[in-house]
Amino acid sequence: MDRRSFLSSMVFSAAMPRLGWADAGSPAYLAAAREADGAYALYGLSEDGADIFRIPLPERGHAATAHPSAPEAVGFARRPGRFALVIDCVAGRETHRLHSPEGRHFYGHGAFVEDGAVLVTPENDIATGQGWLGLWARDEGYARIGEVPSGGVGPHDILRLDGDVLVVANGGIRTHPERGREKLNLDSMRPNLSYLTLRGGIEEQVELARDLHLASIRHLAQAQGVVGFAMQWQGDLPDSAPLLGLHRRGEAPVLCAADMAEQMAMEGYAGSVAMSGGQVAITSPRGGRVHVFGMDGQFRASLKRADVCGVASAGSGLMVTDGMGGVLRIRGGALSPAQSYDRAWDNHLIRVG
Amino acid sequence: MRISLAMRSLTVTLAMVCGFSDMAKAGVDEALSRHVLPGFGAFAQSSAALAAKAEEDCRAGALKPAYHAAYDAWMGVSHLHLGPLEQGGRSLAITFWPDTRGMVGRTVAGLVADEDPVVDTAEGFASVSVAGRGLLALERLLYEPELAGYGTGDYECRLARAIAVDLARMAREMDDEWPDFAGLLRSAGAPGNDVFLKPEEAHQALYTALMSGLEFNRDQRLGRVMGSFERPRPNRAEARRSGRSKRNVVLSLEALRDLARGLADQPIAESEAAFAQALETAEALDDPVLAGVATPQGRLKVEVLAQEIRRIEEAVAQEIGVALGVTAGFNSQDGD
Repeated sequence: MDRRSFLSSMVFSAAMPRLGWADAGSPAYLAAAREADGAYALYGLSEDGADIFRIPLPERGHAATAHPSAPEAVGFARRPGRFALVIDCVAGRETHRLHSPEGRHFYGHGAFVEDGAVLVTPENDIATGQGWLGLWARDEGYARIGEVPSGGVGPHDILRLDGDVLVVANGGIRTHPERGREKLNLDSMRPNLSYLTLRGGIEEQVELARDLHLASIRHLAQAQGVVGFAMQWQGDLPDSAPLLGLHRRGEAPVLCAADMAEQMAMEGYAGSVAMSGGQVAITSPRGGRVHVFGMDGQFRASLKRADVCGVASAGSGLMVTDGMGGVLRIRGGALSPAQSYDRAWDNHLIRVG
Repeated sequence: MRISLAMRSLTVTLAMVCGFSDMAKAGVDEALSRHVLPGFGAFAQSSAALAAKAEEDCRAGALKPAYHAAYDAWMGVSHLHLGPLEQGGRSLAITFWPDTRGMVGRTVAGLVADEDPVVDTAEGFASVSVAGRGLLALERLLYEPELAGYGTGDYECRLARAIAVDLARMAREMDDEWPDFAGLLRSAGAPGNDVFLKPEEAHQALYTALMSGLEFNRDQRLGRVMGSFERPRPNRAEARRSGRSKRNVVLSLEALRDLARGLADQPIAESEAAFAQALETAEALDDPVLAGVATPQGRLKVEVLAQEIRRIEEAVAQEIGVALGVTAGFNSQDGD
């Protein structure tokens, strides 16, 4: 960051009263989209999916991370992105731009800890393939202040749990930006779920059985002390490998699958996961369906919706978004439309607060 | 003056929008009435004929013609992965392919070895693993030398009958359900339509079925058999036991051309030419089970066909996708 923008951010924070999400119209969700004319934007949406704000993005996003209290979002470029934007959702403008250090790239996700003072970003060390978590100090204009190992290869999604414990989905897949998204280590990949703190390091790691080593753990959700992890199968398709696991600290993970035909119809791909109201849902844009399970891991319903990918908690229920602009509630085991826009919602729907 | 110009341009825009959506709606209507509904009708009819034949004489020799007729009709609709075919695991219960873990053979062998009485009721058999049902399970009974010699009193006979009856039931149910689902496609964007929230979603659904069907022929029916140059995989060919591998590609391409013609609202010269070229190549291929991939020359011929199917995909995207304003899925193509 140059000196002038650092100073202007200092002046800005000193002069303004402390703002909250209410000042940005109290969005319930953030979601990135491609608009009808091909432009990209980050939207704030209300509880029922109505537009609250729109902020242009320079290119296609992947996911956003909402600050826990300030009306500030960090939007990440798609993997293997080298930058992330910090967006002031009241002013509707970019306030900082984070660049991954030399030899690193982001994975499209991040999380805040320390009451929102520190942003944590999963990163790939391109030369070694090791996963790292980059640390950025919000109060210092998002200066890079350190890094810790992610506990595996290909750290993708990250969540903050109570007590500032972080849970990281180490997807296990090694890639190199020069070779696009080509997967370089399928034979030897060993994904894991890692729990860690910034001060104490790794506290617990969960690996699945050897015959599931091709199930790349990618996306995370949490509720009631349970972490839900969504996976992407890297083996031959069709396959009925599970795409969802539920994990409680200190216990063995519970793997969740539908009957064989439904499971195969997910095409080995879960794009997002969310938990709420005693249920957990994974989305498959490729299979055009949402699978809903109980917190006991039992399969409940398959809801059909083309190109569905974003999913987030919505009160005691769930909300999904899709590539045709739909915003739909999952209610009573069925999809119920809330909004329909002329835009393509990107992979993730992010709950604010 | 300013205002009236603005009004005029608004009127023109509205007319264009309405004109476009009426035209596009005609494409959905035509695809439904000319392709989808008759296709499911034909599949229901031929599956019912297969079941009737199995009741009369369940032996392999007697069932083969009806099996082929049902499979032919299935190729007319197997790409329509929306609505009824997406329910209850029907698609895999009709053809469990690609079978990456050899489950059809194992499931059929297991049923036969145990003489599992689950075949004796339609409800019971409907609960059997999808790998033990449908056309490819029946193919084992009709064409595997160690199974196909069964007599009318043997367990295999009851199993063949159960498969045929189950297939006829699924085909009939889909034929019954399609008119309602077609109504949802036709009324896409209308108030109360909770399945297709705007008119484009109906085009998107049928267009996706068209493009995925083309890709399935190229990437799966041909691609799996081609394997790599060093390691071609002739044993992976779909329905190779009954000698249908190439025939399935031909019939599927013909059905997809039908869907393309219905969905398009204007001449699609490039798509037509690409379909014609691929069909000509496929028909000229003297290799019913694509076993030729084992030799470099044979593999090249199949590869040429795969490339020609890719050219159909490109032409369809240009001529139909662009006209309808739809593309392949935003998220399904992304993969992260």
